[in-house]
Amino acid sequence: MRQNWWKFLGIALLIYTVVIGMSTPLKPGVLRIDPLSIGQNGNDSLRITHGETHKFRVKGYNTNFTDNDNTAWLKLDSIGAVMANKVNIVNDTEIDLTFDIPNHFPSRDTFESLTLVLYNKEDGTAILPDAIFVKSDLTRGDNIAEWEVNPIANLTDKPGMQFPYRSVLHETIRNTFFHIPLWFSMFILLVVSLVYSVKYLRSGNLQHDIYASALVNVAVLFGILGIITGSLWAKYTWGTFWTTDVKLNMSTVAMLIYVASLILRSSINDIDRRAKLSASYNIFAFAALIPLVFIIPRLTDSLHPGNGGNPALGGEDMENTLRMVFYPAIIGFTLLGLWMSSALIRYEVLKDKWMSRG
Amino acid sequence: MYICTMNLSHVWAIIKKDVDIELRQKYAIGGTFLFAITSAYIIYKSFGELKAMEWNILVWIIVLYAGLNAIVKSFIQESKETYLYYYTLFGPLEVIVAKLIYNYLFTLFLSLVVVGVFSVLLGNPIEDVSLFMKALLLGTLGISSVFTFVSSVSGSTSSSATMMSILSLPLVLPSVLIMERTTAVAMRLINDSERYEDLVILAGIDLLLIGMIVLIFPGLWKE
Repeated sequence: MRQNWWKFLGIALLIYTVVIGMSTPLKPGVLRIDPLSIGQNGNDSLRITHGETHKFRVKGYNTNFTDNDNTAWLKLDSIGAVMANKVNIVNDTEIDLTFDIPNHFPSRDTFESLTLVLYNKEDGTAILPDAIFVKSDLTRGDNIAEWEVNPIANLTDKPGMQFPYRSVLHETIRNTFFHIPLWFSMFILLVVSLVYSVKYLRSGNLQHDIYASALVNVAVLFGILGIITGSLWAKYTWGTFWTTDVKLNMSTVAMLIYVASLILRSSINDIDRRAKLSASYNIFAFAALIPLVFIIPRLTDSLHPGNGGNPALGGEDMENTLRMVFYPAIIGFTLLGLWMSSALIRYEVLKDKWMSRG
Repeated sequence: MYICTMNLSHVWAIIKKDVDIELRQKYAIGGTFLFAITSAYIIYKSFGELKAMEWNILVWIIVLYAGLNAIVKSFIQESKETYLYYYTLFGPLEVIVAKLIYNYLFTLFLSLVVVGVFSVLLGNPIEDVSLFMKALLLGTLGISSVFTFVSSVSGSTSSSATMMSILSLPLVLPSVLIMERTTAVAMRLINDSERYEDLVILAGIDLLLIGMIVLIFPGLWKE
């Protein structure tokens, strides 16, 4: 039992991932803002001219407007903000705000985009970037005092752990703990498999060949699960299960390369030759995988994060609350994969023994 | 590790032998070129007029499949006994280098013939000939190296032709895609300020593949 600690660790980490990853609430956010004074046009943003008074209905997500003292601002970047002069609570997730749009704007840009900032004590701060576009072509910014009457102040965060609210992702942000760790652990399994293939070619020990092929089997399974979770994610964020995006298609080709290696194995009967050929092909396949997954998608435009200049996991692209589940999930999936391949290895070794006995 | 010596005269001898065999068995080389020319003719008769992008794609698809058909027999055209004889004569490095060079020259010649036939039948949309030639030289190197390696792997399986295509087509995909893009730039179909970066990446992939082949093949050859 003692040498099995890593299997229990893997399962514990996966249980942690599912429980914490699924039960932690999202931060309060703003779903949409609709104009009540103009007539609804169904868009998230609308055009408004300077110097007018407008009433908006704001739909919140995970918010508690009732029984709270709500404040709201429309913020013009780096200049200041105007505070809502009337706040009407409809229910917990709906609120009506009335703003006096100032007469003066600091620049002569045709449009200014304003960010909506909502605050109450219980929910902390909720933000909708580019909530409203205001037409500001006539006035010149010599008088920006209106922007500085009620500055944004005294904001606090909601206490406790929440995942960030992102406008397109919404609740699907939890897929971060499944889709990405599945690909990561697939890659780790392939690297381990590569090591065993090299070991086999150097030693000729058939055990190493069985290790390498079992790891490839599990890695292909993880890759297919990675494609399925990614496809579901794409359905809810990009609106389609599959696009012509490079990253998606290159990953599929990578899967084809490894599925082909499994077919190659099954097409050879001689054990030693099978081991030698599949080890050679495995090494070669890994070399071909690098341009497919890491070079080509970075060269072309892509919707997928981490390619074509899109943000992904680095620095400020991911919040620490996500990382608290994301990294354990990677380790958990990798350990699960190793466990699955060790079961496969035992099966193959037993089968070989049985066969050789006749 | 395997200590390999390489004697250039041995390499030359293997290449010369391959050329001799190819010229003696005219059906193989004739079949490959006939396949290429017939496909080009079918395209010519069915399309009538071809847009440059389609011209580009179809040329590479024909080169890909004609090359696949030609190179699949690279390691199985001679009997096992003959290979045993080679094994006593040549080192593995000499064999693989000779095969790589021979197959490269063959694929290069094949692609030039296909481009030539297409140009005669369907017109020539290439604007930047030097860029096109550079992409062709580097791209066919990657394609022919992958085919050579895979033919050495699939040669000893029961259904080598099927194995050859399922093993090699996904592997050549990066080279083919980048080459196709660069030749499209050479036809002024897409604007790309990083065309030389593409060529460098193509060369990098070639180097990676050939390096892996040279490392792995000595282990395979020992059978």
